[in-house]
Amino acid sequence: MTVSQPVYQLDNIVHRYNGQPVLNIDHLDIQPSSIVGLVGPNGSGKSTLLKIMGFIQKPTEGQILFNGKPAVPFDEAVRFQVTLLTQEPCLMKRPVFKNVAYGLNVRGDNKNQEKLVCDALAMVGLDPNTFYRRPWDQLSGGEAQRVALAARLVLKPKVLLLDEPTANVDAASSELIRSESIRARSDWGATIVIASHDRQWLYDVCDEVLHLFKGKPAGSGRSNMIFGPWVQKGDGCYAKRIGDGTVLIVPPPPNEDATAFMDPASIRIVPANEKTTGKDMASVEGKIIRLSLDQPSGHLFADVRIGSLTLVVCVEESHLVTTTLHRGWPVTLTYRLDSVSWL
Amino acid sequence: MDFILAGFIEAFQLLLGGDGETWSAVTATIKASTGSMAVSLVLGVPLGFVLGYFDFPAKRQTRLVVDTALALPTVFIGLMVYAFISNRGPLGGMGLLFTISGIAIGQTFLALPVVIALSATAVESMDRHLKMLLISLGASRRELLFSSLWEVRYGVLAAGLTAYGRVMTEVGISMMVGGNIKWHTRTITTAIALETGKGMFSTGIALGVVLLVIAFGVNVCLSFLRSK
Repeated sequence: MTVSQPVYQLDNIVHRYNGQPVLNIDHLDIQPSSIVGLVGPNGSGKSTLLKIMGFIQKPTEGQILFNGKPAVPFDEAVRFQVTLLTQEPCLMKRPVFKNVAYGLNVRGDNKNQEKLVCDALAMVGLDPNTFYRRPWDQLSGGEAQRVALAARLVLKPKVLLLDEPTANVDAASSELIRSESIRARSDWGATIVIASHDRQWLYDVCDEVLHLFKGKPAGSGRSNMIFGPWVQKGDGCYAKRIGDGTVLIVPPPPNEDATAFMDPASIRIVPANEKTTGKDMASVEGKIIRLSLDQPSGHLFADVRIGSLTLVVCVEESHLVTTTLHRGWPVTLTYRLDSVSWL
Repeated sequence: MDFILAGFIEAFQLLLGGDGETWSAVTATIKASTGSMAVSLVLGVPLGFVLGYFDFPAKRQTRLVVDTALALPTVFIGLMVYAFISNRGPLGGMGLLFTISGIAIGQTFLALPVVIALSATAVESMDRHLKMLLISLGASRRELLFSSLWEVRYGVLAAGLTAYGRVMTEVGISMMVGGNIKWHTRTITTAIALETGKGMFSTGIALGVVLLVIAFGVNVCLSFLRSK
């Protein structure tokens, strides 16, 4: 079996704003034609990582290899290969077609430009007859986001970086971005990296989801991050109030504002109101709000709503023996206290 | 009121009849202002872009100096230029005193800070994501510069228009450096001041009307460009 060369190899990347470190990645490889998700809370370094991978800015320290060669912003080797779609749809003060055609003009690609622009607009669900000559200031937020995506897709980039692409769009646009991302990979083998808060959307789209926390990688795959503050209980344990009088019990955290990490595989679903046994066990009541199949692993995952918190649980066959899973059904989640780790 | 009304009627007669003295002042004004605006835009727009776009040491202090220069009184500029180009000054040998070129030099010092400061403000108000957008679409450093400048074109046009307004309406520099010489360096504003002093309201009104027409014409051109 041959192992293909990674598109990106990031080594010892450190980035600082005003002396404060915001990103610290020892090593990260991104494989060609993969769809990789980045998830993490605000300030976790997702956008900074995308800017560095998009060669918009140079990291303070470290090296990026692109297709095996060191690369920096404005390098000819990367300038026409990588494109980044930012969260805020920024357009130039020009009609739609000039916005979409800008990248083609920069590349000196003037052949069939009108057709390419029309095709790109159609790809993002905008009627070329209506939008082709429309001024930039007569677009809604969602339309501007679609035009911005069309301006990237028309370039057929080798790497497409999307920063919170679904943050300001409706459900239909969100689905369209998902389908076009997959199409970009299948049609021309694009590598796609997507940062989003919408974990479920990422799990549906991506081959792999990387977690970032305070600028550092914090595992991959489906996981649960639960933010403090934590309040001490009488029995030496700590708890977080998550609404409706429900509390989530955890072992003593390193500090009151620490972030807890719970592996979905370490949580077990049992029928509602079933009592937990064992000194080191804890349980919490919730309702199933979603069941989804993880395509790469084939595992079934349940999203369980507990007050204001949603926990992802990996459903094992043994769970299905003891309880029937349906959306909206109340369940009890049980977990070992020592399965909770701290970031 | 009658003399004002009579002044307007006579003004149109002077303009439409092609009165030589009136049109000489109009020509002198257009020549001096065109020269000063050309130099101000060529120097001021790039400097304004640099001031607004880049971070460099002493940027705030530079901005403070430029903003202070916005308030320079025209008579002070006239005085300083006069001192430099008069026979006793360091540039006295160039024969610029009491010439249209001399007036244009003085007006350049008036217009330049306006172009720099307002261009810098236009660049500073540019969408902060624009740089990222252009780089991510593959722009080179040169394309980044020109595309950014193109994006702030309306702000730069407004800067030029504001500077043109100051140049067209100033009296101090034209009077001191140009000397208000009939048929030679007499501009619209110095002629209005002189004719009003002599009680010749009609000539003054006629020249005032020309100023308004020029200002209107420039605005129409800019409006046309904005619609493109």
